[in-house]
Amino acid sequence: MRFRFPIFEFPPQAEALRVEVRAFVAEELAAGLWQPGGDFASSYDAAFSRRVGARGWLGMTWPRRYGGHERSMLERLVVTEELLAASAPVTAHWIGDRQSGPLLLRYGTEAQRAEFLPRLARGEIFFSIGMSEPDSGSDLASVRTRATKVDGGWSITGRKVWTTFAHLNHFAIVLARTGEVGDSRHGGLSQFIVDLKAPDVNVRPIVNMAGEPEFNEVVFDASFVADERLVGEPGNGWQQVTSELAFERSGPERYLSSIRLVESALACARERPTPRVREALGRMAAKLVALRTMSIAVAAQLQNGEMPNLEGALIKDLGNAFEREQIAVFRAMGAELPRRSDDYLSALAGATVNSPAWTLRGGTREVLRGLVARGLGLR
Amino acid sequence: MTLVPMFTVDSLVHEAATRAFGDLAQKWFSRSSTREDLLAAVEQLGFKDALPSPDGRDAWPTAAALIRAQARSATPIDMALLLATGDRAGSIAQPPDEYSCTSDAGRPESLAALAALSLGRCLQIGAAMEAALELSLRYVQDRKQFGQPLAKFQVIQHSLAIAAEEVAAFSAMSDLALACAAREDILGTRMAALLDAAAVVAGRSVDVIYDVCHQVHGAIGFTQEYALHRHSLDLLRWRDHLQLLRGGELRCAERLGDAALEAGSVWRAITSMMKPGGSHD
Repeated sequence: MRFRFPIFEFPPQAEALRVEVRAFVAEELAAGLWQPGGDFASSYDAAFSRRVGARGWLGMTWPRRYGGHERSMLERLVVTEELLAASAPVTAHWIGDRQSGPLLLRYGTEAQRAEFLPRLARGEIFFSIGMSEPDSGSDLASVRTRATKVDGGWSITGRKVWTTFAHLNHFAIVLARTGEVGDSRHGGLSQFIVDLKAPDVNVRPIVNMAGEPEFNEVVFDASFVADERLVGEPGNGWQQVTSELAFERSGPERYLSSIRLVESALACARERPTPRVREALGRMAAKLVALRTMSIAVAAQLQNGEMPNLEGALIKDLGNAFEREQIAVFRAMGAELPRRSDDYLSALAGATVNSPAWTLRGGTREVLRGLVARGLGLR
Repeated sequence: MTLVPMFTVDSLVHEAATRAFGDLAQKWFSRSSTREDLLAAVEQLGFKDALPSPDGRDAWPTAAALIRAQARSATPIDMALLLATGDRAGSIAQPPDEYSCTSDAGRPESLAALAALSLGRCLQIGAAMEAALELSLRYVQDRKQFGQPLAKFQVIQHSLAIAAEEVAAFSAMSDLALACAAREDILGTRMAALLDAAAVVAGRSVDVIYDVCHQVHGAIGFTQEYALHRHSLDLLRWRDHLQLLRGGELRCAERLGDAALEAGSVWRAITSMMKPGGSHD
């Protein structure tokens, strides 16, 4: 096989951690602190993120000197998958914990690590992704936002779109053109840490189809960013951005977006399950075992310092198709359920209306299949 | 901290085959063994009379005989691995060129043999999937239409990407079952659930791979002269047998669904089923 998914199992300390996370979720729910709902990108609760940080469950794999906890990627996976399975409001901290922090750890300066990582790990500051633009979606290398060198820093002009929760988050890592394209289309790009609260950064809401103002347009008009906010080397932006992708694409958020719909249908069916409900739940469980096995493999490979980008793309495409399929299955199942709870109905409506985004965000289905095809040697 | 995978499937297969057959194992891995080599090995072990059809066209009886031959000394996991290697060797010597829906096929009496056979079929299905995919990848790079290799067409690239994803998903699942059998016991409580899950996933995955690999080949793939049919017919027969051993695809799905209902959560059921030493009940 051209893709590698070796078998890793969670070590005992990771399974002990799972018990802790489940107890934490149960306490939070018992205290009525939040209602399960949404997915990793649509359920924002800064106070919840601070409590997760206080438990030591943000920045888990980062060095202690930067506020991290020096645990393994598999332990981090236990936390992320359990919080997602509980449909907990993880959105505020998600991007920073998943990719902005690791990016700074890998390419940031000592000062940047010291400034941002401890606060990220405490759940005090939150990050957005600044990649897409009005004219650059799947073709990310075509970004036109430009950063020009000025005295003491950079002057940024351009527009970013679909910047989820930019109106609430503190910073975005913005990909901008700093030099000419050169021989490869990927040259001349750089990344900057941009303060979303700065007076010369203009954040405008874009209301999505579900009626939520999660998206934003972020407009830079000669916005000043200090030299200390350049991430890595000027011109190295493409390599840095792609290094985020394995983190971005292989996680459980790529196959658990419809988990609440499935679990709420199960709760409705539990007293009198029909054979069709039993079958549908079983089919879902079976495929979930396969996806989770692959996702665990990628987490372990990341732990070992590998960059399994193609494997990440493969998991995301398969996982997105799976999570969307559950909507069709458990919508049709509605009439089979002895009762249809409010939880089921709201999960069904939420998943249905949000699902077009699942196969777009973090790389479209088409881009992912192109990557898998490249892994197969077809392009 | 560096994490070490439990093992690789190839190394396990290699160990088991070497334990049982010594030098012959090397031939199997180079795919140069013949049916005669295999029969000689069975005879050497003193179990020639266990072969139900020494001249049979299907490799399955040979593999079944090997399992029976080994049953006295080999562990169940060895039996599963021998089934996989035995049948692989068998189909090289004597490619099956027929497919018929079996109503029942050699359901073993003991639970250990049942689990070993199921696991062996999973490993074989994974191997046949890879073989069908590899053949297809080669073909689309060689075959030209409209002035360029088929591989250059995006629609072909995406079709094969989808097939490759199914291969990866099923293989991960059967590797997990193998890891579980090797680490715990093939009769461990979570084995049955993992094998049921593999049988369910095989249902859809084999369909996708059967569809895509033949589609990209065009008419040549639908002939006896070209090799694709060996792998695709293997896939169909082995999937049937895997699912029959476990009472059928729907029964497997229902059992997994029942586990989720009992746990009160699909998530809790699968984390328990995948947990080392965990039970599935």
